[in-house]
Amino acid sequence: MSIFADKNTKVLIQGITGKQASFHVQRSMNYGTDVVAGVTPGKGGTTHLGVPVFDTVKEAIKQSGANASVMFVPARQVVVAVTEGVEAELDLMVCIADNVPVKDMLEVKAILKGSKTKLIGPNTPGLITPEEARLGIFPENIHNKGRIGIVSRSSTLTYEAVLETKRALAGQSTVIGLGDDMIIGIDFVDCLRAFHEDTGTDAIVMIGQMGGLFEEEGAAYYQSLSHKKPIIGCVAGNTLPAGHNMGYVGEVMTNGIITVQDKVRAMQQAGIIMVDNINDIHKELAKVIAEC
Amino acid sequence: MKLHEYQAKQILSHYGIKIPHGKVAYTPHEAKRVAGEVSARGPWVVKAQIQSGARPKGKFKEKSAGRGSGVRIVTSRRAVFNEAEEMLGATLVTPQTDKKGKIVTRVYVEAYQQVTQLFYVGFAVDRMTATITLLLANLETDSITDIISKRPETILRLPLDFEKGVTIKQTRQAAAFLELSEKRVAKLKKYIQGLFKVFVETDALMLEANPTGVSKRGDFIALDAKLTIDDKALYRQPDMIPLFDAYEVEERELRAAKNGFQYRALTGSIGCIVNGDGVALAAMDLIRSRGGETACFLNVKGGVDRDKIASGIKLIMTNPRVEGILINVLGGFLRCNLVADGIIAAASEVGLNVPLVVRFEGTNKDEAKQILETSRLPVIIAEDMQDSVEKLLQAMEEGD
Repeated sequence: MSIFADKNTKVLIQGITGKQASFHVQRSMNYGTDVVAGVTPGKGGTTHLGVPVFDTVKEAIKQSGANASVMFVPARQVVVAVTEGVEAELDLMVCIADNVPVKDMLEVKAILKGSKTKLIGPNTPGLITPEEARLGIFPENIHNKGRIGIVSRSSTLTYEAVLETKRALAGQSTVIGLGDDMIIGIDFVDCLRAFHEDTGTDAIVMIGQMGGLFEEEGAAYYQSLSHKKPIIGCVAGNTLPAGHNMGYVGEVMTNGIITVQDKVRAMQQAGIIMVDNINDIHKELAKVIAEC
Repeated sequence: MKLHEYQAKQILSHYGIKIPHGKVAYTPHEAKRVAGEVSARGPWVVKAQIQSGARPKGKFKEKSAGRGSGVRIVTSRRAVFNEAEEMLGATLVTPQTDKKGKIVTRVYVEAYQQVTQLFYVGFAVDRMTATITLLLANLETDSITDIISKRPETILRLPLDFEKGVTIKQTRQAAAFLELSEKRVAKLKKYIQGLFKVFVETDALMLEANPTGVSKRGDFIALDAKLTIDDKALYRQPDMIPLFDAYEVEERELRAAKNGFQYRALTGSIGCIVNGDGVALAAMDLIRSRGGETACFLNVKGGVDRDKIASGIKLIMTNPRVEGILINVLGGFLRCNLVADGIIAAASEVGLNVPLVVRFEGTNKDEAKQILETSRLPVIIAEDMQDSVEKLLQAMEEGD
């Protein structure tokens, strides 16, 4: 079992003909992901990597039955790409692009509001359900199927967390990178809820990052659950001085300077097992697995 | 990208926001001259232009700069000259700069503005609700810094509609909160709406008019201004690019940014090359927990060009602080083999005189390892992050 995407997910690729897209989509297909269509405006009617290319998302869905998309479009096309996907009522969209302006994300969030579409990212490695579907740019060779769910706000530390599950002799149900940006689509709460509903997930690894209150909100949600699956948590950034790079406003927004220690405390109080170093996750994970 | 006060004020003024008359000056003579231009008579305010808040609480390092802060009120043009002469070229340290402070290269000379009331106006993006939020506080007794630390609950926060900005209902609420009479509501709405327009149209991440003053005539005036533009949107803000002050950014940071990478200078002895902020932070935590300190880090996330990666690695190799290099790459989008190529290219150009430990994981990691092995460079290959930190610290100790 898994969350959000599995072997039955039919995937379309927005911006399929680009160089980076081609490299990663081919790998996803080799991995077994059911890529059914591509979209590149102006290239409709052609074929790329063996799948039909359409001019619009709407047309691609009509012809291929796709229910999820991975966007390899450049940052400045993200608003349009998301709008197309939301209008076509895709279940899931993954946005890989880095450098999406914050104002564009405010618009994207407004478009997503009230829709059925879940957006992962931007600036994310995406989602991978080992041996079933790779929606993004995960280094698939480090993954193995299992019963640990991983959700991380730091892209590259997601990979580190995956390696930790391996060290604990376990595998992953689904791995999700939420994205490194200031404004993101789905968050910890969405993922923790889905992992708790998933019968294929026994325990969760949650990797936080400085900035925002995503960890605090995730922790509060977890605390509210009557039935809890064990979570191992880690927030990187103990060494950095608190509140750096933030003017007053950043501090006003969060009611005072939020440090990594504040996040760790909030997660701990909610019952999350916290580790200081990411490479210590496997030790706690092994204990949790033994009890499962 | 941060702007100087005088630059932010020019933009505000362009949007119809009232600001005190002022002009920027680079020399004491110029300061004296522009003082006459902004106002026929004093008092004037001479303000050091460095990109930092809390300048009135700042102190100069040099004795020659006198005991005054970064903001000085004077009554004669001669005094404008004197204060400018003291401040220009001197180093101002404020609660918001680091200990090194910043050299003042220009001053802003303003006509002193009499006001009856002061308050804080800020705009920021609330990350959790993805809305632009208006922040207001009364500055009768405390500065905004003190309010944040002592009683943050007394700050009024109003989430604004992305399309429309502030509503009349919200403005009335704001006026009541600021204890302004009802006849001020129209002018307040115009003021807030003008600032909101600046925020949206300049792709700002942060805008503060702190303080905002109310004149005797009931006009709202931005007495100071802070504006930060979203770097990711600079491509559509061509007017902002010439305002960039390279002096405010470290040179290596600039060179890294040219290739799309981030560089951060710290104070230790280990240079880190990583892909991703999270890995950077985790590596720094790990280095510290093993008794080391980080000198700088370079984030090459998203790199696809081997020449750019090589020039990034050179930035680390040529940093005189660096006594050991740690490369931790978990390739996803970034392919490990490109980093391996970059290491070789950089080392052949500038030489490799310090221990270098590499840990590759993910996309094309085997190719990358092979490239390094056949290069015969004295590179140590590690298996995981912990291993890489330990191997580097050991190699640095042996080298001593």
